[in-house]
Amino acid sequence: MMTVAPARAEILQLYRSFLRVARKFPDYNIREYAKRRTIDGFHHNKSLSDSSSIAQAFSDAKAEFQIAERQALVYSLYAPKFRSIMDIPNR
Amino acid sequence: MTFSKHLVSKLRNLPLISQTLTRSLSTAAAATATAPPPPPPLDDPDSISMKGVRISGRPLYLDMQSTSPVDPRVLDAMLPFFVSQYGNPHSRTHLFGWESESAVETSRSQVARLINASPKEIIFTSGATESNNISVKGLMHFLRSSKRHVITTQTEHKCVLDSCRHLQQEGFEVTYLPVEKDGLIDLGKLRDAIRPDTGLVSVMMVNNEIGVIQPVEEIGKICKESNIVFHTDAAQALGKVPIDVQSMNIGLMSLSGHKIYGPKGVGALYIRRRPRVRVEAQMNGGGQERGIRSGTVPTPLVVGFGAACDVAMKEMEYDDQRIRGLQERLLKGIQDRVDAVEINGSAERRYPGNLNLSFRFVEGESLLMGLKEVAVSSGSACTSASLEPSYVLRALGVDEEMAHTSIRFGIGRFTTEEEIDRAVELTVKQVLKLREMSPLYEMYQQGIDIKSIEWAQH
Repeated sequence: MMTVAPARAEILQLYRSFLRVARKFPDYNIREYAKRRTIDGFHHNKSLSDSSSIAQAFSDAKAEFQIAERQALVYSLYAPKFRSIMDIPNR
Repeated sequence: MTFSKHLVSKLRNLPLISQTLTRSLSTAAAATATAPPPPPPLDDPDSISMKGVRISGRPLYLDMQSTSPVDPRVLDAMLPFFVSQYGNPHSRTHLFGWESESAVETSRSQVARLINASPKEIIFTSGATESNNISVKGLMHFLRSSKRHVITTQTEHKCVLDSCRHLQQEGFEVTYLPVEKDGLIDLGKLRDAIRPDTGLVSVMMVNNEIGVIQPVEEIGKICKESNIVFHTDAAQALGKVPIDVQSMNIGLMSLSGHKIYGPKGVGALYIRRRPRVRVEAQMNGGGQERGIRSGTVPTPLVVGFGAACDVAMKEMEYDDQRIRGLQERLLKGIQDRVDAVEINGSAERRYPGNLNLSFRFVEGESLLMGLKEVAVSSGSACTSASLEPSYVLRALGVDEEMAHTSIRFGIGRFTTEEEIDRAVELTVKQVLKLREMSPLYEMYQQGIDIKSIEWAQH
């Protein structure tokens, strides 16, 4: 069974959606982690050439993206009243 | 009784300082010492006031050894078990029980995979404290007719030391091995302490206060040669340093959920099957978890723990590299601008996410009071309620004043470079401010050896 690797455009679309969702987290640490981990994760897999491993990496990323979407919503529902001191400018 | 001792012991009593010091105080200290604080504005959206401290936002978190935030991937795995799949895993007669049991077994294998064990060797408990209790008391009670001696270290977690004290009251003998200046035990002393009736050696893998990594492989080998069960408290080590119960010859291991970005209230005990290690249960009841720990297994927490172990296995290398870099940044940032800073514990054999520093000529409480925007800890959470300095630092031979000024920075998966930079800035600022007021520091800068001074009796 030969898994078809996703097209480059599809991968980039997932990457951009992932970063968009990452920005939605109200918690400073989780937000920064999600952004950083997405960038590092996609960069790390950039050099993959074998189509089944690309497909595997893509489906893993897609599953993580769905987790991030759900959790961004949950974290927004329970965002604390006061933001982290790192989110407050010029202090 | 001199001026400086007056200062160090009564630093909290601010009006006294303003009367006795002849130099001008920094403006911030002067403002708080002389004028009463203005009444807080009624509608201040960005200001939290608790325990007399007012800060403009939630502090940045650098206390990963006391607990860690729950990873969103872990929370995602747990929520369905609070919302719809709420069955008791021990109910054998309906779907709710079956799906709950299946989730618990999946988690069991996730935990086992992280430590290279079989799922049959994992027992879920309420945390590492309970696992430590089962290991120390449960094992020795089982062996009470043949083995009467336990070897542990002076830097173990309070629950292990307290369990050993309990055993001593029952008539067992316990040897508390001393540690060297770098926090590591001397393997020769361990060998010498072993007796024919030694039943257990308990040495924690990564210390929660100072972060040193004990030579677990060597200890495991010594225990295997003498046929003694080796117990290690791996609460701080799980998911951070690679653990292999086979190569390390571990017989019992305590694991904790909330140190690896999992939920609080769950942990596990690894208990070896070949050769079989047997313990007496501490929680009696319906015989759940192979009779070792009765009580309903908390499915959502266990699922969270399993998911945390799974995430940790995937992220261990990435996190380790990052945290190493962040620790170097923190250490360099502080050491570049402040002198007379000492790292407590070995600098080489340490887990990078734990940095315990002592600042000479600075009073510990006032240092912490000025660091309210950084959530750090001084000494471990378990001992900070009392006023005495940490027993771990005392075991290292750190003198009392340095023990009082120790700060433990905990770096984790979610820590950012900006947080490290901010923590460095705040720490350095506070240390420099306090040192400016310290006459002892002035003497040190002039080259006087404080220890050689003969204080006059008044």
